[in-house]
Amino acid sequence: MEFNGTVLVVDDEPHIRRYIGLILHKLGSPRIIEAANGEEAVALFAQHQPDLVLMDVNMPIMDGIHALEKICAANPDALVVMLTSLATRHVVERCLELGAVNFVRKDTPKEMMAKVLTETINDNFGEAEA
Amino acid sequence: MTHPAANSNGQPRIDLSGRRILVVEDDRLNARIIASILRPEGYVTHEVDSGEAALAAFAQFRPDLVLLDVVMDGINGFETCRRLKEDPSAANVPVIFITAKNQPEDIVAGLEAGGVDYVVKPFQPKEMVARIRTHLHLRALVDHQQHLIDDLSKANAAKNHFLGIAAHDLRNPLTSIRGLSEFMLDGSSGELSEDQRAMLRSVHSATHVMLDLLNELLDISIIESGEMRLDLSPTNLADLVTDAAFLNGLTAARKQMKIVCRPFKPSCALLIDARKIRQVVDNLLSNAIKFSPPGTTITVEFSEDGTHQTISVQDQGPGIPPGEMSMLFTSFGKTSVRPTGGEKSTGLGLAICRKIVEAHHGTVSAANREGGGADFRISLPPTATDHGV
Repeated sequence: MEFNGTVLVVDDEPHIRRYIGLILHKLGSPRIIEAANGEEAVALFAQHQPDLVLMDVNMPIMDGIHALEKICAANPDALVVMLTSLATRHVVERCLELGAVNFVRKDTPKEMMAKVLTETINDNFGEAEA
Repeated sequence: MTHPAANSNGQPRIDLSGRRILVVEDDRLNARIIASILRPEGYVTHEVDSGEAALAAFAQFRPDLVLLDVVMDGINGFETCRRLKEDPSAANVPVIFITAKNQPEDIVAGLEAGGVDYVVKPFQPKEMVARIRTHLHLRALVDHQQHLIDDLSKANAAKNHFLGIAAHDLRNPLTSIRGLSEFMLDGSSGELSEDQRAMLRSVHSATHVMLDLLNELLDISIIESGEMRLDLSPTNLADLVTDAAFLNGLTAARKQMKIVCRPFKPSCALLIDARKIRQVVDNLLSNAIKFSPPGTTITVEFSEDGTHQTISVQDQGPGIPPGEMSMLFTSFGKTSVRPTGGEKSTGLGLAICRKIVEAHHGTVSAANREGGGADFRISLPPTATDHGV
């Protein structure tokens, strides 16, 4: 399938945003918007209503958990996948509780990460929108 | 308390002058005599004439030792001692009874009440002074050891915290370097010259090695800080080991080595954290590859008795040098055996293996084989959860 939706990539490290962006381009021709912290993410989500959000956890100004909470509270249908560096179980559980649909470790090999993202997209959009 | 300086024997040198002694004695004259014996020794004394007064004075005077009469009006010495010991700050303060009651059952009652010693009236001043000095000295030594333990625990916790932060912060940039170099290598960003590809492959493999090292450092910091959690699920050890043998076999092939895994069928699935046990098996296999000469064979064997399933990884390497067995499973412990293909080693892998296996209530061990080479074994009980984790 070709994924051509809008994706908000949130990470304070630009090289990670670029790397994730390249993985997303393997899935199709998505429109990618970048945010460097939770606060920017909340604002950009409201402005662009992206189809998918990839959200880092540890960030300055506002962390990913807080941003996830705000985004999901305002948009219960938001599709947020958490990007973790160290998947400590309580962080993952907290995020799933707050409304994240999935999580993936940043150091997951890129093919595997692409697979997780594809599955998330398929599960939530189905073939109709693809 | 002051930190005693160590003398040349490594024993702390302890100056006891200025130590505070609470004298509890209802006979004023006796109390004065005791004080007049102790003061010239350099002790600071405070005299009270009842058990109630002793309990009241304790918090304010903060004695290093209590001399306690037994027969007094109000609560007696034994009861005073029991009540005193209910206060956590008094728990380590030695109490010496000083009384004319000299029957063995009295002495036992005093020791049971929490006293450490017993001086019978009429007492020899020198004996009393010697006993007091002994108990103050012991107490100071215990305090000193406790300080050392506290300092070391703090230093170790700080080390783990640092390792965690350093490894964590270094990992994201490395993940990007590895990932971006993969994108360049697969031609996503245009064709590269052969030279460029070769250089990028070096970047890529160096990053791989660094990520492995960082992951081990992180594992150790997580394990040592007591934050390791097991994610248990029923797992067939045969599948796990066969997978590991197959994938490590690809690495082995690069050194013209092979991994032979005799097929086996465990009688039951084990309740284990499959990812972590796989990490252990991978580690044993990659060690065997690392430390054995090219062209050799690694054999993986399974055995099972009534209680445990055991995996044995046997190599044809140099074995474990005599006298170095004890450092195998310690953090940063490296033996004098070096990898045969320039591979990297943190000295953490086996320490991590041991912690993971022990968290499953299993054992990990190593031995030299009769015909040469080493034999590393892990034994796992069938139901790790029965013991709780």
